[in-house]
Amino acid sequence: MPLKLLLQLSQRNLFRHRRRNIMLLLAICVAVAGVTVMNSLIRGFQYDMQEAAVANLTGHVKILAPGYLDDPNIEKSFALAHDWQPDLPADQLEGWAARIRIPAVIMSERETRGIQFVGIDPAQEHISFIGNATYTGERLASAADRRVVIGKELARQLETAVGRRLVLITQGLDGLNREAGFRIAGTYDAEGTGLEKQFVFTGITALQAMLDADVVTEVSIKFASHPKEFSIKQVFVEFFTGLDVLDWQELEPQAAAMFVFADAAVFIWFLIMMGALIFGLVNTLVTAVMERVQEFGMLRAVGMRPGAVIAQVVLESTLIMAVGIAIGLLLGWGFYLWLQDGIDLSQWAEGVELAGMRSLLVPRLLVEDMVLVAGLSLVFGILAALYPAWRAVKIKPLEALRR
Amino acid sequence: MSDVVVRCSGVTRTYQDNAVPVVALQGVDFVVKRGEFVSLAGPSGSGKTTLLNLIGGLDRPDSGTVEVDGVTLNDLSESELSDLRLHQMGFVFQSYNLIPVLSAQENVEFIMQLQGVAADERRERASSLLKDLGLASMAGRRPGELSGGQQQRAAVARAIVTNPVLLLADEPSANLDSGTTQELLELLRTLNERQGVTIITATHDPMVMGYSKRQVNLRDGEIVEDNSSRAA
Repeated sequence: MPLKLLLQLSQRNLFRHRRRNIMLLLAICVAVAGVTVMNSLIRGFQYDMQEAAVANLTGHVKILAPGYLDDPNIEKSFALAHDWQPDLPADQLEGWAARIRIPAVIMSERETRGIQFVGIDPAQEHISFIGNATYTGERLASAADRRVVIGKELARQLETAVGRRLVLITQGLDGLNREAGFRIAGTYDAEGTGLEKQFVFTGITALQAMLDADVVTEVSIKFASHPKEFSIKQVFVEFFTGLDVLDWQELEPQAAAMFVFADAAVFIWFLIMMGALIFGLVNTLVTAVMERVQEFGMLRAVGMRPGAVIAQVVLESTLIMAVGIAIGLLLGWGFYLWLQDGIDLSQWAEGVELAGMRSLLVPRLLVEDMVLVAGLSLVFGILAALYPAWRAVKIKPLEALRR
Repeated sequence: MSDVVVRCSGVTRTYQDNAVPVVALQGVDFVVKRGEFVSLAGPSGSGKTTLLNLIGGLDRPDSGTVEVDGVTLNDLSESELSDLRLHQMGFVFQSYNLIPVLSAQENVEFIMQLQGVAADERRERASSLLKDLGLASMAGRRPGELSGGQQQRAAVARAIVTNPVLLLADEPSANLDSGTTQELLELLRTLNERQGVTIITATHDPMVMGYSKRQVNLRDGEIVEDNSSRAA
């Protein structure tokens, strides 16, 4: 059976019941566009959550002293050689940052809080949230800067302000308390109160001097986009013998689990939308077949093989699905462009922060998701046509022609 | 090449009508030779359409054998029957059964397309035949834009364009007025006499019977009269 003939018949049959097929086409377009837009929002949520987790002083990979995660203190530290950095291609590495991160107590004239005291080199922190935060006052100037920057929420809780002094108490390598006064250079806005309450930053060499120890407690490494984390992680495992090398999934297991769930959510959403659509498609195709019983009977009578009858029904479904998918993807892409600047979720800031996201949800449309939607929708269209096609092929020419 | 186109031997066919067996044919022996124009006649329920369908491979006998051009249909699968109908037979149906989304020309080309005939040859043969049948100016029209007689002529064109061994027509005049019926019968007679097409019709229209060379009367599933003498 020539494909051209089947195509001709299928295409013309679609125009035979225009109103019905236009309604079906609209349903396919809406479903595909809806799935595409929803996928872009899910992906936006997914990647935003991942980026937030990575930017949360985590990086894609972190090097820690053994036992630091269970008991983070200055005793779980290590010295860093000057030539410590493995030889990685520049295009694979976005940056790295060595830090001291230890528990401490911070006191203002009015309040006392427990915090994480972090010594950083500001030049290296473009890989974390603190490098990109907005400030009131000043940023830290260098690794030797003896001032501190604190979160604006912590400043509110401590009832203090830029320019005032704070006292920080922490434990040194020798087990004795170290106490020092620091002036507030600035307060940072981290788009979420959790980080702002938790982290206080100073220059790393200033903190090393306070602790009287030339060590670090962690090295964060951030790769360029889409790192093949496992293979690159191996480079660090081999380089930093005796230290723990952990990736972001191990450091942020909740965010990692949500990342995997978002992958599944893309499929679940697709199945719900397409599942509903398929019932409509099957119903329409069965109606179309039943309306043409006599025609199918005649086709079989004059010598059309059963396989060709199946092919014709499947082709009609595939054609309408293909057109619907193309228009639906274009519509979805249009919506994505419209939403590209992001959706402001600041009204629900607390809930958004709990979900590990930032307050601006920027949709992300992945080509592989569009290919997946197109491919699976076509497969669904073909599967939906199999039952009507089976009904068509079961039509006995003799009975059909008697009608 | 055998002189016999159709040979039915001891053909019996029983239908179930609401679990009640209805004998449509019982032990029918029937032979049609090449070039004959046969009409199967009889009242409703006599078995004429059943016999036509068995000859066309659209139905299978409960017992007995049906042979068409030397091929026993009983032994063929559905696909093989489809191929036989496609290459050896032409069908003219009571309600024309043209494909509504194709033009008259495309309907006539349709069977040739199924057969895999090249496009140029298809077009030429279909155009030529439609011209012979007086439908040249209607070639581009779809069935809905043609009168009953024009549709039936297009259906005949579709049935004979592949030069079938056998043309089967089931009540071909049922939906036609007498003038159009006469035109159709003249056409069938011309095909039979000039091109030697073997034609079997099932009919209870006396006009159709009058044009055929041989009239076979059935009653209650049996052949009660075979007026072969008209062939002479």
